[in-house]
Amino acid sequence: MSRQARLRTARARIAAIEAGGTPFRGVLPFGDPRVDGVLLGGGLALGRCHEVVGEGLELETAAAVAAFVAALASPLAERGAVVWVMRRDDLYAPGLTGLGFPGDRLIQVGVREEKQVLAALEDALGARGIAAAIGETEGIDLTAGRRLQLACEKSGATGFLIRSWPFGGCSSNEAAASATATRWRVASAPSVPESGQKGLGPCRWRVILERCRGGGSGTWTMEKTDGAYPLRVVAELGDRELETPQYLRFAS
Amino acid sequence: MGTDRGVRRLSAVDEEAVALGLFIGQKATDATALTPELATAEADPAADLAALEALCDWCVRFSPAVATDPPEGLFLDITGIAHLWGGEAPMAQDLVARLAKNDIPARAAVAGTAGAAWALARRTSGVTIAPGGREAELLAPLPVALLRLAPEVAAQVVRLGLVAIGHLTDLPRGELTRRFGPAVVGRIDQAMGRTREGLAFRRPPNPWFVRLALADPISAPEDLARVTADIATLLCALLVAGGRGATRFELGFHRLDGRIEHLAIGLALPGRDSSMIARLFAPLLERVDPGFGIEVATLTADGIEPFFPRQQGMDDDPDGADEEGVASLVDRLANRLGEARIWRDQAFPSYAPERAVVRRPPLAPAHGPGWDVERPRPLRLFHRPEPIWAVAPVPDDPPVLFRWRGSAHKVRRAEGPERLAQEWWRRPFDEAGPGEIRDYYRVEDEAGARFWLFREGLYDSATPVRWWLHGLFG
Repeated sequence: MSRQARLRTARARIAAIEAGGTPFRGVLPFGDPRVDGVLLGGGLALGRCHEVVGEGLELETAAAVAAFVAALASPLAERGAVVWVMRRDDLYAPGLTGLGFPGDRLIQVGVREEKQVLAALEDALGARGIAAAIGETEGIDLTAGRRLQLACEKSGATGFLIRSWPFGGCSSNEAAASATATRWRVASAPSVPESGQKGLGPCRWRVILERCRGGGSGTWTMEKTDGAYPLRVVAELGDRELETPQYLRFAS
Repeated sequence: MGTDRGVRRLSAVDEEAVALGLFIGQKATDATALTPELATAEADPAADLAALEALCDWCVRFSPAVATDPPEGLFLDITGIAHLWGGEAPMAQDLVARLAKNDIPARAAVAGTAGAAWALARRTSGVTIAPGGREAELLAPLPVALLRLAPEVAAQVVRLGLVAIGHLTDLPRGELTRRFGPAVVGRIDQAMGRTREGLAFRRPPNPWFVRLALADPISAPEDLARVTADIATLLCALLVAGGRGATRFELGFHRLDGRIEHLAIGLALPGRDSSMIARLFAPLLERVDPGFGIEVATLTADGIEPFFPRQQGMDDDPDGADEEGVASLVDRLANRLGEARIWRDQAFPSYAPERAVVRRPPLAPAHGPGWDVERPRPLRLFHRPEPIWAVAPVPDDPPVLFRWRGSAHKVRRAEGPERLAQEWWRRPFDEAGPGEIRDYYRVEDEAGARFWLFREGLYDSATPVRWWLHGLFG
C-alpha cells in the first residue's frame, strides 16, 4: 500500500470517528482530481451542509454565488426535490435553466424574516424526498449550523448556505465559527469565449475552498460545462495584457 | 284548510278562488256556503316548509346566498352577480319564468333592501325592479301591512288612520316607538336600508363535518390540542369510511359567549391522516382566544376527492414515500408561512422577461414547454430595473462604461442587442411605440461580473434614451 493510500485510509477513519457513526451518504464529485483530492471522500459530501460566501458587491447581490451553487447542485435535482429558501424573490427560473438546473422543478420558499430562513431550511433538510435545500441567510451561528447538520444527517439531504444580506447591510459574524462541512468563497471571473467566438464565454468563477472538514483547501477557476460534470477546472492563465474589447453583434 | 282555535279556516287560496271572493282566514263554512263546489285540502305546514327549502336549494343556481322566508317567500342576495344574467331585470324574469315552467306561480322584486323587495314583490304581480336609493319614495304609497309587522300591530296602526307607509315615515320616530313599540321603527329602517338585516342564508350541507360537544368548557392550550387531535380522528374515520381525502380543513371553536374562533389549514395533496392534520393545526392553536371557555368544536373538510391509500409495509417504496415527504413539507411550510410563499416557477409564453414566469403551487403538475435556453437570461431579475448612467456609442452599441450602485464598471465583453418590443396585443396599438422598445445586452465587466442591461427607446425618437440594469448573471 502506497503512502498516499495509507494516508487516505487513515483520513477516512478519522472522518468516520468525527462523524460519530452517521452513515456515509456518498459524494458529488467534481470530476477533477485537483479538486476531488482535497475534499474528504473524493467530492462534495452529500448529507452535509456547505457554506458558500461571496465577496464585495456579491455580498448584496449573491448572483455569482447562487449561480455556482445552482450549477453545483444541478445533478442533485435528478435525485429528488430541491428547495430554495430566501427572503428576497429575485431568483429568476429561466436563468437557472440556462445554468443546467431545472428551474421549473425548483420549489421556492419566500420567507418574511431572517430566522424563518433557518427554520424553513431545517424543516426542508429533515424531510423525505428532498435531495438538496439551498438557503440564503445573513449569518449562522454554531447552534443553528449544528441543527442543520443534524437534519441533513437524518435524511441524507444536502444543504447549501448562501451568505448574503440586504443592500446596505453589513455582516456581524463574518468570521464566526460554523458547523458546516465545507466553506467556499466564490466570485465571478472573466469569461473566455471559445477561440474564434466573440461575446461572452461560459460562466466562470474564482472558487476558493477555505475550509473542509477532514480535507484540505485550494483555489481554482471553474467554468460551467455541458459535460458529465457541471463544472470544470480551467487552467490558470498567465498574467497578460487584456485584448481589445470585441463585441458580438447579433444579426439584425 | 286548517284549524285555528277550533274554527276551520282557509289557510291558502289559489287565483280562481280569489276571483270567486274567497280569502285567507275565511271560515270554511262561509266559503263552502259561497261556493258549494269548493275543493279543499288539509293544510300541512311542515310539508310546505320542506317544499320551500327544496326550492331554496334549487335557487342556489341563481345565487349562493338564498334564505327562506316562511311561509312562502325566498330572499336571494344577488349583490354582484346580476351581470351574469345581463342585469337585474333579465335575472328576475328568468327566475320567474323557470318557476312558472315548474307550475310554481311566483312574483319577484329586486330592491336595495330585503324589506323593500318583500313589500314590492307582494304589491305587484310579475317582476318589479326598484332603482337603488329610492326605497322611501316607492314604499310611501304602499299599505302598512307590507312592512312585515305583526298582524295585531299592523291592525292598530291602521285603526289610527295611518294607512300608507308614507304616513308612518312622516311621523317623529320617538312617537312611533312610544305608541307601537320598537318593531315599527325597526322595520322601517330595514326597508329603507338604514340598518342591516341579518338573513339566515341556507348553505348546502357539507356531509364531511363533525362536532364535538365538551362536557366542560376548556381553555388551556394542551386541552385545545387534545380536542383537535380527537376531532381530527373522528373526521378522518368518516373520510376513511367514505374512501375520500380532503385538501382543506376548517376547525371552529365555539366559545361560551357565542363567538366562533376559526382556523383553517390546506394540504397540497388530498389527505386524511389525523395525526398530520392535528400537527398542522398545532402552531395555529396559540392564536385561539378561548374567552371564558370553549364548549363545542367543529371540523369541516373541503376539497373532497377520492383517495386511494398506498400500500405500505410490503415493499420499501422509496418513490411513494419521497412524494409524500415532499407533500408534507409543502403543507407544513404553506400553513406556517402562507400559501403564497411557497411556489414553483413555470414558463409563460411571453417575450417580456417579467411575464415569462408565473408562480404555480409547488405540487401542481408541470405542463407546457420550458424556457428557451438559447436566449441568455439572468439568474437574478430585479422587479424594477435599476437606472444606470452609461456611456455607449450611438446608435446600438453596448455601453463601454456604466455606473451602478455607486461604483463604475468598465465593460470588457458584451453580447447583443436582443430587442424586446412591447407586446402590442396586450395594450392599445399606439402605446406600443418605439419608446417601449428595449435592447438588451449581456455585458461583463473587468472583474468578471456579468450584467443584463437594456437601453430604453431609440436614439432618433424625441425622448432621450435611458439605460437600465435589469438583472445579474452568475
